[in-house]
Amino acid sequence: MSDVTNGHRSILVVGGGMSGLSAALEAAEAGLPVYIVEKEPYLGGRVARMNKYFPKLCPPSCGLEINFRRIKNNPLVRFFTMAEVTKISGVPGDFDVTVKLAPRYVNEKCTGCGVCAEAAETEISNPFDYGLSKVKAAYLPHEFAFPMRYVLAPQVIGTAEAEKIRAACPYGAVDLDMQEKTFDLKVGAVVWATGWKPYDASKIAYYGAGRFQNVISNVVMERLASFNGPTQGRIVRPSDGAAVQKVAFVQCAGSRDENHLPYCSGICCLASLKQATYVLDQNPEASVTIFYIDIRALGKYEDFYAKVQKDARVRFVKGKAGEISENAETGQVTVQVEDQETGSILREGFDLVVLATGMVPSTADDKVPAEVTYDENGFLLPAQPSAGIVPAGCVKRPVDVASSVQDATAAALKAIQAMVRR
Amino acid sequence: MEPKYVSLEMRDYIVSMGAETVNWCMQCGLCTNLCPWRLVPGETSEKFNIRHMQRLGQMGMEGFEDEHILFACTTCSMCQSNCPRGVKIVDNVRAMRASIVGAGMAPANLRPILGSAHANGNPWSGPREKRTAWQQGLEVPTFGPDTEYFLFVCCHSCYDPRSTKVAQSIVKLLKAAGISFGVIGNEESCCGESMRKLGDEELFQKLAQSNIELFNAKGVKKIITTSPHCLWTFTQEYPELGGRWEVIHYTQVLAQCVQDGRLKLSKDGSKKVAFHDPCYLGRHSGVFDAPRQLLENAVDGGTVELSRSRELSLCCAGGGGRIWAEVPMGERFGELRVTDAIDKGAKVLATACPYCMNMLIDACNSLGKQEQLEIAELSELLAANL
Ligand SMILES: Cc1cc2nc3c(=O)[nH]c(=O)nc-3n(C[C@H](O)[C@H](O)[C@H](O)COP(=O)(O)OP(=O)(O)OC[C@H]3O[C@@H](n4cnc5c(N)ncnc54)[C@H](O)[C@@H]3O)c2cc1C
Ligand code: SF4
Ligand code: SF4
Repeated sequence: MSDVTNGHRSILVVGGGMSGLSAALEAAEAGLPVYIVEKEPYLGGRVARMNKYFPKLCPPSCGLEINFRRIKNNPLVRFFTMAEVTKISGVPGDFDVTVKLAPRYVNEKCTGCGVCAEAAETEISNPFDYGLSKVKAAYLPHEFAFPMRYVLAPQVIGTAEAEKIRAACPYGAVDLDMQEKTFDLKVGAVVWATGWKPYDASKIAYYGAGRFQNVISNVVMERLASFNGPTQGRIVRPSDGAAVQKVAFVQCAGSRDENHLPYCSGICCLASLKQATYVLDQNPEASVTIFYIDIRALGKYEDFYAKVQKDARVRFVKGKAGEISENAETGQVTVQVEDQETGSILREGFDLVVLATGMVPSTADDKVPAEVTYDENGFLLPAQPSAGIVPAGCVKRPVDVASSVQDATAAALKAIQAMVRR
Repeated sequence: MEPKYVSLEMRDYIVSMGAETVNWCMQCGLCTNLCPWRLVPGETSEKFNIRHMQRLGQMGMEGFEDEHILFACTTCSMCQSNCPRGVKIVDNVRAMRASIVGAGMAPANLRPILGSAHANGNPWSGPREKRTAWQQGLEVPTFGPDTEYFLFVCCHSCYDPRSTKVAQSIVKLLKAAGISFGVIGNEESCCGESMRKLGDEELFQKLAQSNIELFNAKGVKKIITTSPHCLWTFTQEYPELGGRWEVIHYTQVLAQCVQDGRLKLSKDGSKKVAFHDPCYLGRHSGVFDAPRQLLENAVDGGTVELSRSRELSLCCAGGGGRIWAEVPMGERFGELRVTDAIDKGAKVLATACPYCMNMLIDACNSLGKQEQLEIAELSELLAANL
């Protein structure tokens, strides 16, 4: 591994989502040593939490598996999970980076057998399902997690239960003495690909997210529709678990709104069109209404839009949804909207309302520990003061996976150039 | 349908009257849906659609002059605070009204009100020399060179018999807190906030100029207002006309005094109290906590939040000149507030604005719920607990 530590030729990729993975693999396959630093205990980012992804509607595992295989087969790629970068200093070709590793309490001897989870009693809210389900305090982040390794929740450390969990593991993989660790890396360039997080829908007070159980956000819809999700893929009303017949999608929930996100999030229209197909595939008798200002399905995505539009079970109503109210007894949620084609005010009840919330750059709150520049919404600007710190993917612009991958490839090239040009 | 004509001159005229942002509108309809008129039935609700009205303004098209349309808006700002394009909807309403009222076409029912404000300096047909009649039996200090705060009492609380209790209670509270304050008296004029919202720009300018000259001549630096409407125009509209003072609402001063320990209130009563956020105090001026802190300090029976509160508060329907509108029973926003308060188990519905108090009392009476719910201005509850 001696060449891997040669700082002047290696690249640090922060964030192990589609963008980070692509940047890392492109650079490694061009012969450069790469480190991936990922905050979560698994790689794959937001895409891992989706049911299917457009345009082909394949499960996220197919795209991700290929990337994981490429990583496994490439000795130039090293990755750290549960890791964050706390400091970056230096110049292109010669950066000093400090990485902080949170203790996982499970080492590389883990085979993913799951005996530890059987021994655990405490249940914690499952972050992978946005808190919609519970997992044991010894858990696998998700079914197809890479690395396939369990995690111990810090809540149980120091308890008798932790001892019991440790004793249960037949491989001696549970290590309760693990501590937070920091170490330094010397790298030539940094690709920052920390992605996005969903806009907090409860901030749009008049839509009632957080107050009404059957008003959910689009990321939650992805979990409801996923086989490895809280309902094993059944799209049901959170209030009573009943199957849904009438579903509404409220577009631009927070996006293109000066009080929330002034920009268009780019993919929410497509996400709702896709999620409409989830509903109808599961229940052919169901109906879907999409309330929109205008549908933004650019380029090749127009075809997908046209396909969904042809389905008579999908109704498109032009008008920004106003207030959403709830019938506390039945759980039905009513959307009020002015239909801009007829000028009439509609009030219609639904089993489930999905708010098409937008993407917020993770850097809106979680800043890069180096001198970088952001736009007014917290996205990293394409051109940075240091040519050696290169943003990639959704941390730069809200885009789909295909564009993220393209952008990441470009970012890898820029990172390489920043070192070579020195 | 009759053909309608687009008039760019009309559009430009409306814009010049203050509708500078009318063209930012993207016709999404959020405003129409968040408008409190959607919560009641009736002719006005059916006719008044704020998105559509602004569309007519954008195109300079006829059709907005109908009283049920042009004068329906209560200027509550529910729409404006949430408009995704940041359209200054209330300014647009004001400008569209001004385009009609300025041409001498004010609706008949508003003429006596505007006339009184012209002649007497108040819209309540009260003689100017009676402006201080509410002070009878109270020693109210006169504002002088050494006084810290000028207390500006809303015309409503100068003349309306029920509302004078608000002015009196506030005086008692300020005295108890040891605040240096005083009033000027009969030379004061209506702040003009509602006159401007009704579209009488000329009248507003006249009232504002006379107040600014008077206050400045008296050496006013800081003002306490009894009404959120005066607070709003003094802070938002007067500065560009030359009236620059530090202005706060009485609830803000008192909340500070309670915090500093300068004002001691005893807790009293076992009645549960709900608070109605006045639009001009809450959404328009961002004051949500001060009245709640005061309530917490003065009631024993607990407080309860209405289902629409704080930023989402439902308007009493008294703003934008609607306090002078005749509205059929069953279509009054205040009725929804009263019903909600009763459903929430409140025995008292308190507010911090004379207009709101007025509208809520009317609504409570029209529902015949006086036995079940008491309407109070916050100052009255507090003064009773001194
Ligand atoms: C509801 C919804 C549905 C969507 N559906 C589709 C679809 O069907 N098809 C499609 O093409 N696109 C879809 N998208 C868009 C897609 O999710 C993004 O294009 C994709 O996630 C971008 O990948 P990324 O790597 O840039 O960001 P992310 O996926 O967000 O990955 C970022 C990674 O960085 C990690 N990270 C964050 N902060 C730090 C830090 N400080 N240190 C270290 N690591 C950190 C995160 O844990 C994460 O693993 C959808 C989006 C939404 C909102
Ligand atoms: S909410 Fe704003 S942008 Fe939307 S229709 Fe109303 S004024 Fe226009
Ligand atoms: S200010 Fe209030 S009453 Fe006027 S249009 Fe807007 S929401 Fe309706």
